[in-house]
Amino acid sequence: MTAVGTFLDAFADDVEGICLFSPSSSLYSTFADADEPVVVIGAENTVDADVFVELPLEFRDPTERIRFGVEGALGQDELDEEMELLCVLGSFGDDMDTVMRVRAGDFSDSGVYDLFANSRADPSVVRNVLEVSVELGKKGQKGKPVGALFVVGDAGKVMNKSRPLSYNPFEKSHVHVGDPIVNVMLKEFSRLDGAFVISDSGKIVSAYRYLEPSAAGVDIPKGLGARHMAAGAVTRDTNAIAIVLSESDGLVRAFKSGELILELDPEDY
Amino acid sequence: MILAQVDLPALIRSLFSERGAVAVAVLTLFVGAVAGYLVWRGTTNFLRRQGVDDAVEGTLFERTVNNLGLSTVGILSQLAALAVYLLSVILALNVTQLVDTEFFWIRFTTLLPRLFVAALAVILGLVVGDKAKLVVSDRLKSIKLPEVSLIPELVKYSIFYIAALIALGQLGVTTAALLVLLAVYAFGLVFLGGLAFKDLLAAGAAGVYLLLSQPYGIGDEVEIDGTRGIVQEINVFVTHVESDDVEHIIPNQRVFKRGIVRIRQ
Repeated sequence: MTAVGTFLDAFADDVEGICLFSPSSSLYSTFADADEPVVVIGAENTVDADVFVELPLEFRDPTERIRFGVEGALGQDELDEEMELLCVLGSFGDDMDTVMRVRAGDFSDSGVYDLFANSRADPSVVRNVLEVSVELGKKGQKGKPVGALFVVGDAGKVMNKSRPLSYNPFEKSHVHVGDPIVNVMLKEFSRLDGAFVISDSGKIVSAYRYLEPSAAGVDIPKGLGARHMAAGAVTRDTNAIAIVLSESDGLVRAFKSGELILELDPEDY
Repeated sequence: MILAQVDLPALIRSLFSERGAVAVAVLTLFVGAVAGYLVWRGTTNFLRRQGVDDAVEGTLFERTVNNLGLSTVGILSQLAALAVYLLSVILALNVTQLVDTEFFWIRFTTLLPRLFVAALAVILGLVVGDKAKLVVSDRLKSIKLPEVSLIPELVKYSIFYIAALIALGQLGVTTAALLVLLAVYAFGLVFLGGLAFKDLLAAGAAGVYLLLSQPYGIGDEVEIDGTRGIVQEINVFVTHVESDDVEHIIPNQRVFKRGIVRIRQ
């Protein structure tokens, strides 16, 4: 045991911050009086922690979870880029089974946290749209893969930079993403081409929109199709973000300010 | 009440003998015991099926009686069973004419139902008041303001007050003064509430029309009361209009009062 003890002592030596991922209240209370800053990261602040970063998705990959949590804590100015962090999390279940030591600045700033916290749309709206896209990517339309493009936030400007391809099925309706019936509706309407426009508060403004932003200077990875190009361009022209489900490779991608921010495989969630 | 008008003991004595009356009394007691048990079981099952035990979970009353090894559902059903038992005992006593029946009937038949209604009102008031407090404070949980915790307490004690009024009224205690107090309280609540929420109500009424008929939608360029811009959001109370990175949040009653200019290219 001494060898293990020595190793763990050296491992935890001069750690400057602690990140707890969805801790139980007993675990949190053991760390609550620590000298180092403690950051709680999880879906819900169940332990009433002072510093809390909300995870919008259930990241199954621990590295993704840590990346998002650390980025969030950095974004809230609770941690420093130079800090050595000890991350305690459960990788294979709800119990804490993983301890990781990372340097806060080692992650390249991917902007994933920024996508949720600093977009025009509410974080819950962004999360709901991502969930719908992931579900759509998993099941597809009647077993066939489908593609979809959601433009979230800054709806007024987006509507002015696009034109209708067909009658708007959401005209005079007041449905919001996250309403139970909406997933089915979106699934049906994703069969036809065009983008969904969603307002800051989550109201579905329109479907079947043809986006007409200027694509000049939009730099997205080669090999992505017209749908992704339109998504990148519209987020550069407006303050909206765009979430795209690719028909060809089945991945969900998020764009902000003309850049690809997030890439998810629906099968992982 | 109807029973009181029929001379039950005399009727039974004319039908049976003196000894028969005792047998009838014993039978009444027995039937009362069985009926009481059935009522107890029926009420328990009924309340459980209606989800009452889940609904009262976590209220102060439920926790207190839980400490005594009881439950709200149990108490309510036992109360119902007790009513049946008492009724059968009174009937039996009346039939055997052991006590002064005249006195008994008048006092008890009027008082007993009232007593039960009063007990029921107290229990319901305690449970509903506590539950209302929990629900309201749950709704207000996201508001981090210490003063806000006053509202759930206010709701709780208002309901307690009304329950106490009903119970006292049933027992025949003069409640006129308390009733006046309640009226003053309710009037103050409605009057001051109306005064405070005047603008919000007006905005809400206008918002309902705007949402239903949608004279303008998200993405339209409009001019409202001198503010020109693109509509970003409409909800029940306000309309968000954005122009050149400035977002105007306009109360809906102003949209209604001043009219809307829609700008078409």
